[in-house]
Amino acid sequence: MKSIGASFRRFRRKPAFTGFILFLVVLLLNIIVQGWSQCLSRGFSIGNALAFFQPSSLNSIFMSNMPFILVTIGQALLLLVGQMDVSIGVQIALVNVVCIMVPQQTGCPVWVGWLVGFAAAFAISALAGVCCSVLRLPSLLATYAMTFLVQGINVLIMNVPQGAVPRAYWKPYQSTVYGLFENPPSFLKFLDYIPVAALVLIAVLLIWHFFARKPFGKHIYAVGTNQRNAFAAGINPVSTQMKAFLIKGFFVGVAGICLTLMSASGNPLQCEEYGIKSLSAAIIGGMGWGGWGSISCGVFGGGFLVLIQNAVYYFFTLLSKLFNGFAVTSYWHNFVSDIIIFGGLLMTLVTAREQRKTLQQGLKSQFKRGEKNVK
Amino acid sequence: MSNKSTMEFQSNKDFFSRVNLFVQTHTALMAVIIAAILFAATIIINPRSLNLVAIGNIVLLTVILSIPAAGQTLVLIGGGMDFGVGAVMSATAILTTYTMRGENGHFLPVLLISIAIGVVVGFVNGFCSVKIGLPAMIVTMAIANIVTRLQYILTQGVLSGTASPLLASTVKFKIGGVIPHVAVYALIIWPLVFYILNKSRFGKQLYLVGNNPTAAKLTGIKVDKVRIISYIFSGVLAAFAGIIGAAYMSTARCQIFDGYAYDSLIATIIGGTTFAGGSGSYAGSIAGSLVMVLLSNLLTSLNLASPIRNVLNAVILVLLLMLYNRGKAVRQ
Amino acid sequence: MLEMRGIHKRFGAVVALNDASLSVNEGEILALAGSNGSGKSTMIKVLAGLVAPNSGKIFFDGKEVAIHSGTDSVKEGIATAFQDLSLIPTMSVQDNILLGCEPKKNGFVDEKKARKIVLELLEKFHIDCDPDDYVQTLMPSTQSMLEVAKAVYRKPKILLLDEVTASLHYDEIETLFGIMRELKAEGVSMIYVTHRMNEIFQICDTITIMRSSNTVISGKVSDFSLDDIVYYMTGARPEHSDTVAEKAEDFADRELVVDVKDLAIAPKVKDISMKAYKGEIVGIGGLEGQGQSEVIRAILGAVKPEGGSIDYLGKKTKFKAPADGVKAGIGFISGERNVEAMFPIRPISENIFAGNSAKNRMFKFLTKKEVRKFSQDAVDKYNIKIGKLKDPASSLSGGNQQKLVVARWIAMKPNLLLLDDPTKGVDIHSRQEIHDIIRECAANGMTVIISASDTEELMNISERIYVFYEGKVAAMLAGPEKTQERLVSAMMGINENKKEELAE
Repeated sequence: MKSIGASFRRFRRKPAFTGFILFLVVLLLNIIVQGWSQCLSRGFSIGNALAFFQPSSLNSIFMSNMPFILVTIGQALLLLVGQMDVSIGVQIALVNVVCIMVPQQTGCPVWVGWLVGFAAAFAISALAGVCCSVLRLPSLLATYAMTFLVQGINVLIMNVPQGAVPRAYWKPYQSTVYGLFENPPSFLKFLDYIPVAALVLIAVLLIWHFFARKPFGKHIYAVGTNQRNAFAAGINPVSTQMKAFLIKGFFVGVAGICLTLMSASGNPLQCEEYGIKSLSAAIIGGMGWGGWGSISCGVFGGGFLVLIQNAVYYFFTLLSKLFNGFAVTSYWHNFVSDIIIFGGLLMTLVTAREQRKTLQQGLKSQFKRGEKNVK
Repeated sequence: MSNKSTMEFQSNKDFFSRVNLFVQTHTALMAVIIAAILFAATIIINPRSLNLVAIGNIVLLTVILSIPAAGQTLVLIGGGMDFGVGAVMSATAILTTYTMRGENGHFLPVLLISIAIGVVVGFVNGFCSVKIGLPAMIVTMAIANIVTRLQYILTQGVLSGTASPLLASTVKFKIGGVIPHVAVYALIIWPLVFYILNKSRFGKQLYLVGNNPTAAKLTGIKVDKVRIISYIFSGVLAAFAGIIGAAYMSTARCQIFDGYAYDSLIATIIGGTTFAGGSGSYAGSIAGSLVMVLLSNLLTSLNLASPIRNVLNAVILVLLLMLYNRGKAVRQ
Repeated sequence: MLEMRGIHKRFGAVVALNDASLSVNEGEILALAGSNGSGKSTMIKVLAGLVAPNSGKIFFDGKEVAIHSGTDSVKEGIATAFQDLSLIPTMSVQDNILLGCEPKKNGFVDEKKARKIVLELLEKFHIDCDPDDYVQTLMPSTQSMLEVAKAVYRKPKILLLDEVTASLHYDEIETLFGIMRELKAEGVSMIYVTHRMNEIFQICDTITIMRSSNTVISGKVSDFSLDDIVYYMTGARPEHSDTVAEKAEDFADRELVVDVKDLAIAPKVKDISMKAYKGEIVGIGGLEGQGQSEVIRAILGAVKPEGGSIDYLGKKTKFKAPADGVKAGIGFISGERNVEAMFPIRPISENIFAGNSAKNRMFKFLTKKEVRKFSQDAVDKYNIKIGKLKDPASSLSGGNQQKLVVARWIAMKPNLLLLDDPTKGVDIHSRQEIHDIIRECAANGMTVIISASDTEELMNISERIYVFYEGKVAAMLAGPEKTQERLVSAMMGINENKKEELAE
């Protein structure tokens, strides 16, 4: 028990704590609202009350939001090294467009298209890295300019939404692990609660963990906080930032393929808003500007935004069931979501204040030790 | 290597560093030079673009952009950033057309309500980023989103109403067929901003706050107050720009002017104001606005397909940023 | 072993190093002395790879080497502890120490080994903290020790120490010197930059003195006297006559300006009571970080007191922000120029006018002439050496910057002037000028409260001295009681009966 308490206290000091609490709150909210709504229409039962956890519900949340969550993780990584990329949204559209058009135009297998898609993601991320890190342009404006560039390229590759992905590819992505089997034995039924998309997320996080355990995982913090000091310690800030951009390119590649599998078609002008939204998500998740935060901040922040939209949708369904004749347009949904997101931003402060308190306590105990030394 | 070539290399380097120094110290003038180059390029590519109508339009659009850019300049000098100017402009533009419905005589209420909107949004932006301490870029964007959602709720996404003919004529009518009436607005706004920034204690305080907030606070400046006021100015100026924008466009749909958030930011940066705060001038931002308008004018006159235009736009923007808005190298 | 020859460096128009050179042998501690802005730190930065010299050569064991980056510097076996710290506040103690040289196993960081190394280092340096603590939660002195530990971990052949003792407690300095002697025995060379003369005699073997971007002289420390060093640093023999005539006036008939009662501010200030009368210069002495800055900031209104009260002109103050204090006629001059006083990219004129611009109505018309006249007057009166009034304030030297800040406030004619270590890192000449200005103001009825880390300065300038120790007033020295000896003993927290020990 003691060690649990100690590790909780340690976790409380971590930047991801902020995002974790917010995520937890909105998750709870979502479960309640969705369950309540379900119970009203289908009668009360444990199953209905926990409608959120039904395989179809879980699966659709993971499947349709994986691109956004991956993009937020990428954004969080860039924020860590003191950069950002607001063109990250159109970049996944680029991967999507390439993945569709390369097989369609050349007749090559779909996976070759994916490889080219990855290459495109790396190339465009490297370009962004060169602008922001090597040329030292202000990253907000440079990557905003790149939004035009990428969008232009997207339309040049694919002028109107079109294309298709073979069912053999998108079907597994859109199903649960249980659904992958032809004739699954029933004792494996629990696998129905694991969407394939969730496995993608876990795989990406594992790959990140691989990088995080290398010295690079420490260097990003140094570079993000203070380039000069990092440089003085023998770290090359530019190459560290470039590595971060390339790893982000990998995340973008995966996100683009998820997007392709989710929609099973191509659209050159989608997801632009992800660029800014992922920034807000990362901040809500507890990221600071440079050197403060972690990849989990991205996961929690992205999850927060995703669940908010879900919860608001069920909230209004619930209202329409509770009050006859209550009906509002989707504009209201967006309005309420945005108000809550704003509230989430404000909430980061409350949790951060808690953190600051712990920091201060640390400071005081430090001072007492200092006094001991003087005596 | 002979001694002579080293010497030449040295003097070459000196030349570049001199050019660099010139660019660093004369940012506003530099923006004017870039504008001239862009305009010359436009004329060479398409000689017909040198006509009174085109020039009148350039003036008009520059004036409109220079108004939110003024607010952006104030906020940036104070060390903040306002991403909400576009949303506020759209909101007041919609309010203008929605209230006027093509009739004269609603100007005063529209103006008052718009300014009220500007003050409220500006204050909330300022309060959240300064007092609460959220990152300015994120929080102004979140508030801008809410303002945008309100536009949709008000109009339900439908176009409705037009600006009053009188208001439209104050913007579009051209004195002597050349100078658009909107120049009169510029004559009010430009000196006003110049006064705020250069001839008042507030301006002095704003520069000091932007350069070193800690020192400013210990010098007895009310840092938070100064910064919040800069956001309020930004909100009000954007609100006013929205009314003029509505008059120019006649009708207004939701999010019509959202692009001005980035445009005003880039115009201000091109004009020599820095993200770090504490430096910059409004003259530079006006010149920067001119650059932005001429750039889009040039791209239009090239008659290119829109994707290629986008790519070109991106390349030119990156080049502009490279010219004189690079961060310092780690190693001196 | 290491030699730097003919190093030149210009930053724009400012010459930072002009034909500077130094050399250090194996197992030798070289003191690099010089007044502020003489180029000591730039020399260190050249060796650390942070500044690229315009010309000049660096030799290592007789071979010429090129240092282009921090990596090159580390590769040559040079490790640096910087004056302004190179620690990353948002990283843990462990990650900071190992940063850039993490122990590796199969390409991954070997966490187990890392922990062992760090615990050993912390033990060796007597640093009492958890390796997982974020550095931003540590005290400045602990951070300084960490900075040195980080450099030592790199097992350097040459260790550069740039004013690391500035914020250390005296027992920490002892620890540090012990480690330095140990390293010296192992054959490590060190370059030690310091402002504290006694440390040079205590630990250094050789000395190189810099003056205005140039190295003036090098030699064995034993060949120099304190006066010699000061002479080479400043170009003038120190005058020992600079003492204040004792004022044995009774204060009771003077107006009480500041009355601090039982002030407490966590964590540093516990119980401080002090008074300042009209026209008096009150000194605050003590080791660094005994609560001096906090008390001064509390009077100004920048820090909120947690207990006790502050009366100003007979009324209890309720300042919410420094702005209120300034409005009530209080001026504040900080020694931390760069952080707390200067506006580096703003023109000199605006810098001088800063205090004034905070006054009056915000949108009142202000002409350029008004600003220019105000600042030109100050420049003339206080003999600030500037280029043009519209040059950025960063173009000034440290001493002139500080004079500027002093001028800014004196020109406002405050009732009460607070100075927190105002001559930190200011050359002796400017320091003298600043003292003269302060004395003149006090003679004209301004009340002055000044804290200083330099005991001699404190003795010279102040009429009465409150000595702080551990957040309490350890002694109040005035009249014949005000002696250097008593001041030092009070600073160290040594009571009267232990005084003999110190005298040894």
